[in-house]
Amino acid sequence: MSTDVLNLNLRVWRQAGPNATGGFKTYRLNGVSTHMSFLEMLDVLNEQLIAQSEEPVEFDHDCREGICGMCSLMINGQAHGPDNATTTCQLHMRRFKDGDTITIEPWRAAAFPVVRDLVVDRSAFDRIIQAGGFVSINTGNAPDGNAIPVPGVKQEVAMDGAACIGCGACVAACKNASAMLFVSAKVSQLAILPQGHPERNTRVINMVAQMDKEGFGSCTNTSECEAACPAEVSVAHIARLNREYLRASIFAEA
Amino acid sequence: MNALLRILSLPVHLLAKVPGLGPFVKVLSTTVGQKILMALTGLSLCGFLVAHLGGNLKLYAGEQSFNDYAHALHSLGPLLAAAEVGLFAMFALHIGLAISTAAMNRIARQKDYAVKETKQGVFILPNGGASNWMMLTGLLILVFLATHIMDMKLKANPGVDYSAAMNTEKIVANEYHAVKAVLSTPLNAAIYMVGLVALGIHLSHGVRSALQTLGINHKRWNLLLKLGGILFAWGIAIGFMSLVVWAMSYKG
Ligand code: HEM
Ligand code: SF4
Ligand code: FES
Repeated sequence: MSTDVLNLNLRVWRQAGPNATGGFKTYRLNGVSTHMSFLEMLDVLNEQLIAQSEEPVEFDHDCREGICGMCSLMINGQAHGPDNATTTCQLHMRRFKDGDTITIEPWRAAAFPVVRDLVVDRSAFDRIIQAGGFVSINTGNAPDGNAIPVPGVKQEVAMDGAACIGCGACVAACKNASAMLFVSAKVSQLAILPQGHPERNTRVINMVAQMDKEGFGSCTNTSECEAACPAEVSVAHIARLNREYLRASIFAEA
Repeated sequence: MNALLRILSLPVHLLAKVPGLGPFVKVLSTTVGQKILMALTGLSLCGFLVAHLGGNLKLYAGEQSFNDYAHALHSLGPLLAAAEVGLFAMFALHIGLAISTAAMNRIARQKDYAVKETKQGVFILPNGGASNWMMLTGLLILVFLATHIMDMKLKANPGVDYSAAMNTEKIVANEYHAVKAVLSTPLNAAIYMVGLVALGIHLSHGVRSALQTLGINHKRWNLLLKLGGILFAWGIAIGFMSLVVWAMSYKG
């Protein structure tokens, strides 16, 4: 047999609905091309299931090029699979061996309830963003692009935080299901740029409050999030969030 | 887990009612605030350890020198009592927060993965390094601490022969001999050694972690801070351990 075809055992979490009790089901999938992405492999699995009149496996995806953050899968105990700085949709089947058993689970967090099979509800992240992850823009003429000087270094650091795609892998990988890396990436990126300064103090306070309300855990500085993050967001942002929190709590005018 | 959290958060609800403390309680009761409080109490306890080790190293300077130090400390009277109350409060806060945040974190995960791996590199300690051993090492420190207070402060350990410390003319026990009697009892020496190894592990993550929680992180300094934390941790732990070894091997 050609070496670029795999025969796999897929151990997939199946759950009919939010309140249904789920469980693993194992499927045999033969003839998987190593050139496929992980999601394409799941497409093939679903073709097979449909042909057998079984319910296809529900999973989230959108861009399939690593920018939307939808493809949230725990693959063999790794958020987004075994590769560093890679989303599930960018993961290739050549990373696996013929005969492998692959365990596929949804993100596990009280704040990310399972909707069905591998799909979780990540709207907790949206509510955190709504609580403060924005800047107020006045309408009117477009401002001159270079009217507000931002030093190059600051642009770079802000961009490192802005690289977050909101996928939730940090929560999924963290032993405390803490959302600190996600929240800190947003807080930090806007705290560094002058455009984010008007809301600087209320932002961090409100976003942390919403994060707690959603039921995410607290940070034990284990750095598992940083290792799992497909956008390579650094825990240095978490330290900046902590500084912003102290600053806003102690020194802010209001 | 939820009931445990409710009990632990009782003092918070009471404190929030004290006039003037409301905003303070609010800032410190978020997850970020709780970690800041843990970091501050942890680092204060580290400060205590430095002072305590510094004093205890006087054992090497001989009986007279150590007993003078012990006497000077005890003659502080109410000041010492106040410091002890403060120390107890630090421990209570630190441990209370450790348990409440750990319980919250368990609830936040809700359901464990069937398979869980890490992308972090290899650690000396299995299971992802010291940061995943904080609760266990903390509890070992607590066991050690309970034994230690019974041994030294209350002088009430039935397994220790305190006679060498008591048979002097003075009313105050001879602290030098008391320490030696306690540390040279094999069971005690073993408990102390285990507790101190746990302390070394706990602080080798704890110090760097506390600094990160307080917002101290800069790529220019990170390596230094990490190594400094580990050096501090084992410096303290080995410093105390040396006293156990000294007492075990010291004759006369
Ligand atoms: C006596 C029982 C103790 C228990 C149960 C305990 C437990 C814990 C726990 C669970 C953490 C959190 C770990 C994490 O964030 O991953 C922690 C952190 C810490 N502990 Fe302890 N500990 C104890 C005693 C001590 C002592 C005696 C010291 C120092 C002398 C200490 C210093 C620290 C420091 C500096 C931190 C870091 C705080 C942070 O992560 O922000 N602990 N402790
Ligand atoms: S910080 Fe990284 S892991 Fe977390 S949501 Fe953003 S991109 Fe995903
Ligand atoms: S599907 Fe958009 S990042 Fe993977």
